[in-house]
Amino acid sequence: MAGTAGTPGTPRVLRAMNDRAALDLLLEHGPLSRTRIGKLTGLSKPTASQLLARLEAAGLVLATGTTEGRPGPNAQLYEVNPTAAYAAGLDVTPERILAALAASASLALLATACTGQSESAATDDPDAKTTITFWHGWSAPTEVKAIQENVDAFEKAHPNITVKVVGNINDDKLNQALRAGGSNGPDVVSSFTTSNIGKFCSSGAFLDLQPFIEKSKLDLDKLIPKPMLDYTQFEGTRCALPLLGDAYGLYYNKDAFEKAGIKSPPKTWSEFAKDAKKLTVSKGDSYQQLGFMPTYHGYETVVDHYMSQWDHAYFDQDGKSNIAKDPAFAEMFTYQKKLIDDLGGFSKLEKYRNTFGDEWGAKHPFQTGQVAMQLDGEWRLGMAQQAGVDFEIGTAPMPVADDEVDEYGKGFLSGTIIGIAPQSEKQNAAWELVKYLTTDTEAVVSFANAIHNVPSTFAALKSPDLKVDEGFQTFLDIAQNPHSNTPPASVNGSTYQTTLQDFGYQYESGKVKDLEAGLEKTAKQIDTDIEQAK
Amino acid sequence: MTQVLDKPVQLANPTVAERTARRRALLEWIAIHSLGIAVALFFTLPFVFVVLTSLMSDQQALTRDLVPDTWQWSNYTKVFDTPGFLTWWRNTLIYAGLGTLLTVVSSVPVAYALAKFRFRGRNLSLMLVISMMMLPPQVVIIPMYLFWAKQLDLSGTLWPLIIPMAFGDAFSIFLLRQFLMTIPNEYLDAARVDGCGEFRTLTRVVLPMAKPGIAAVALFQFFYAWNDYFGPQIYASENPGAWTLSYGLESFKGAHHTDWNLTMAATVLVMAPVILVFFFAQKAFVEGVTLTGVKG
Amino acid sequence: MSTHTLRAKRRRSALRTVAFLAPWLIGFGVFFAYPLVSTVYFSLMKYDGFGTPVFRGLGNWAYVFNDYPLFWPALRNTLWLVLVMVTCRVLFGLGIGLLITKIKTGAGVFRTLFYLPYLAPPVAATLAFVFLLNPGTGPVNSVLDGLGLPTPGWFTDPTWSKPALTALALWGVGDLMVIFMAALLDVPKEQYEAAELDGASAWQRFRFVTLPNISPIVMFAVVTGVIQTMQYYTQPLVAGKVASGIIGGSGQQFEPGYPDKSTLTLPQLVYNLGFQRFDYGSACVVALVLFALAMAFTALLMRRRGGLIQAGD
Repeated sequence: MAGTAGTPGTPRVLRAMNDRAALDLLLEHGPLSRTRIGKLTGLSKPTASQLLARLEAAGLVLATGTTEGRPGPNAQLYEVNPTAAYAAGLDVTPERILAALAASASLALLATACTGQSESAATDDPDAKTTITFWHGWSAPTEVKAIQENVDAFEKAHPNITVKVVGNINDDKLNQALRAGGSNGPDVVSSFTTSNIGKFCSSGAFLDLQPFIEKSKLDLDKLIPKPMLDYTQFEGTRCALPLLGDAYGLYYNKDAFEKAGIKSPPKTWSEFAKDAKKLTVSKGDSYQQLGFMPTYHGYETVVDHYMSQWDHAYFDQDGKSNIAKDPAFAEMFTYQKKLIDDLGGFSKLEKYRNTFGDEWGAKHPFQTGQVAMQLDGEWRLGMAQQAGVDFEIGTAPMPVADDEVDEYGKGFLSGTIIGIAPQSEKQNAAWELVKYLTTDTEAVVSFANAIHNVPSTFAALKSPDLKVDEGFQTFLDIAQNPHSNTPPASVNGSTYQTTLQDFGYQYESGKVKDLEAGLEKTAKQIDTDIEQAK
Repeated sequence: MTQVLDKPVQLANPTVAERTARRRALLEWIAIHSLGIAVALFFTLPFVFVVLTSLMSDQQALTRDLVPDTWQWSNYTKVFDTPGFLTWWRNTLIYAGLGTLLTVVSSVPVAYALAKFRFRGRNLSLMLVISMMMLPPQVVIIPMYLFWAKQLDLSGTLWPLIIPMAFGDAFSIFLLRQFLMTIPNEYLDAARVDGCGEFRTLTRVVLPMAKPGIAAVALFQFFYAWNDYFGPQIYASENPGAWTLSYGLESFKGAHHTDWNLTMAATVLVMAPVILVFFFAQKAFVEGVTLTGVKG
Repeated sequence: MSTHTLRAKRRRSALRTVAFLAPWLIGFGVFFAYPLVSTVYFSLMKYDGFGTPVFRGLGNWAYVFNDYPLFWPALRNTLWLVLVMVTCRVLFGLGIGLLITKIKTGAGVFRTLFYLPYLAPPVAATLAFVFLLNPGTGPVNSVLDGLGLPTPGWFTDPTWSKPALTALALWGVGDLMVIFMAALLDVPKEQYEAAELDGASAWQRFRFVTLPNISPIVMFAVVTGVIQTMQYYTQPLVAGKVASGIIGGSGQQFEPGYPDKSTLTLPQLVYNLGFQRFDYGSACVVALVLFALAMAFTALLMRRRGGLIQAGD
């Protein structure tokens, strides 16, 4: 594969040298396309795009016209910003030799890469008769059926393209196949895990979509809500688009609320703790009904879902873990631990948790009435209705920290991301499918209706065809709330979240007592892991 | 060996025993057989519970009931209707069948050479065979994976698991060598005196005598492939069209979430062939197990 | 015979040996020697599957030993399994072997029943045990609860997950049973008769006749047990995945070693580093640690059981 020198691990120095090399090329050759720059420097396409985005942001290069009259998306041309050229030239001169060295070194690396990935932009004819392979992660029969119906509609609209659909693919398999880069691989790929976007974009595992978006003249800012745009790009490389979203809120058992004399869903975490206690009914050494299952294994009550309701930053400006320095993390861990103690203690809760049915089955503890409140994604509503619960379900945004009441209404966001595999030889046809699934209002609406997810375009969110069950509007609002958030992308994917989650398990069970020291140790671990991945 | 096994040791001769001794023997008989039944329960109850659960409704499978209210035989047809289940069967048969064939063909000559030829480096070769046998497959998986996936573009297929079997399997070589050691050299010498070359000696004299050993090796290899999880996980996971039963079974649980009844029905269907094969080839099997440990 | 024909004969016999060994010689080179050297090479490289490997020296080694959070828990688990699981399996296998030699009525049936679970495919057996030991509704806890006994969390509780795996391993003890049974039947009957004449008790007969006779087999069972523990992969992995409810089907990554890293073993780390994190370099470091451990015990086995090799000379 031709990830070459610009992959995530590139040390800063090398990155600077690449920048210089690209500038030199632009000075020498005049306007160049991204692909051409990639070729001349020996950098992979994602890296070249990152580099150009960086130089553009710094005002050193300008996007000018496009190359025309060639098959494939018209490529954007770049030239050196004339006003900056002097400065750049002055700056660059003493290190020209170094830059040239860096460039030739990268070329050498490219030459030795074992399998060649076609560096030229997509050259296939999107109107020719062809078959593309689409990988997705859905496995439940209703979901598989829904995506197949969507694909059928696409095939009808594009009779020349046949889509081979492969389901039940998780991120591990996806990552592995994209690295293998073989002929059995997919053309269009999708993933449920937004946290792997950093890995996908920076490593070149997903193709940069920018040229396609420009060719199709899509104005993404007007099409797709900003949080969803954010979690589908990494450091300026747009290598994916959102295919429906997930918004997390609070589900509550209205009947139980009435019985306990609670009038409205809790807005702050302290109200929430009070309500959880009120809703808890003991039975022997267990519970008849538990107000809320706070442990991190309590289905979706994981660390990053809690954290979305405290203003927080996982990383500081230098990209170092912030969890020991940002007090929000300590607050959240302390709150959760106290809630566990107040509701009966860890071991009693764990015993009770062991009687729960599976998260995706009809016997989900919220659906059976075993717990009265549940933090969960929008899909729970459809699942609960399907399971036929015998109480009224209420939905609300998740509570917020006591001093953040003005941000009430926000929630945790996530969603499916979809992109194109770089080794695909049918990238233009693949793009047609990606474009259709992510931006065609009818497609987005019907898919959202079928699997009870949040639509990922403005037009679909407003569409009259969108089925909005009672209670579902809550999630549409959360999805569009500007304070809703999702954990930032990182070069090593979700590893930092896993590490923090691991600490959570140890703290909630009482295995680790010293929160401050524990968070510091965890922060160090996160930094080391990221360093190792670079 | 098996002949001995079929006849349990007689500890006392009842005809000469006195009455007390006879009573003691009876008590001992009762004690030992009660213990035997208790242990047998430990070994069989899991099977019983699995089969019972496989016949429950999905709701009942999640309760504490042990016996189905209504016997849902349709669970089994449902399992067969699961997309991919038949493909997993086919793939498993290909992997196990072809793999076994290749293993036997390639391992017999090697085992024969190690057992009957005298040459320098024989002991070293044997030590290397044993080392390969004890090597966890994970040790070399990174370069092997890169080799198959990047150089040969075979990821998403079972070929990276089948092809190596054409180059001798260490465990099979070792087992066969142990077996061939037990064939007296006089037979070979006689064949050679009759003018047979080594190859003909192998095919005409040794192979017919080595049938039980070959059967044991074939069985082990078949079961190894049938049970293999790591190999398909690495090479076939990305392509559901190449999944085997062992790998697919786990994802079956993933796709059916809490449908423990269906998952248990699928479990029964994966276990059943192995157990059937065992009943047909029990003797060869037990012999093989003892060969690994006792003889040599 | 002239020296010429003698040399030709020797050459022919060498050629013949090579021809017979050929499949294995190729296999040895391509599937053992080359990847082993390559593993050493990659352990010194930074490589994520994209681009080209970059030299990193001992950085991966330092990372695995000092900073990789799963390494020491996996090693501790392996030690636990060696001490408890292997011991239990050997003792239980020996016990069952003894029992089966004493059973007079229906010995064949008993032997088959005892042996069958060993044949159950590991994934199927593990799934079955996760179900049987399901803390809430599984048959085992239903029975325990009915008897008024405590109901552990088994595969969902870090203190009970390894005992649960041990139970699964004991269920499949059939291989050891057969080996011990064969060894027990090989003990010369005259020795028992002599001991009985001397008035030795049952325990004394076991201690002074049986044990010395079968001790090489016990040793063999222990050492192969240790080597198998080094390779222990499918059962703990599948148990952790299924018990955590996250199999990866719905796109989620499973939690390695669920619950709380208690079921991690070294081979799983190779998978975690190599095929979840795509840090091929560090994966190769763990692979080499695994290799060193496996080879150390293999050497022990070969020294103890010299008979494996020398018989036939």
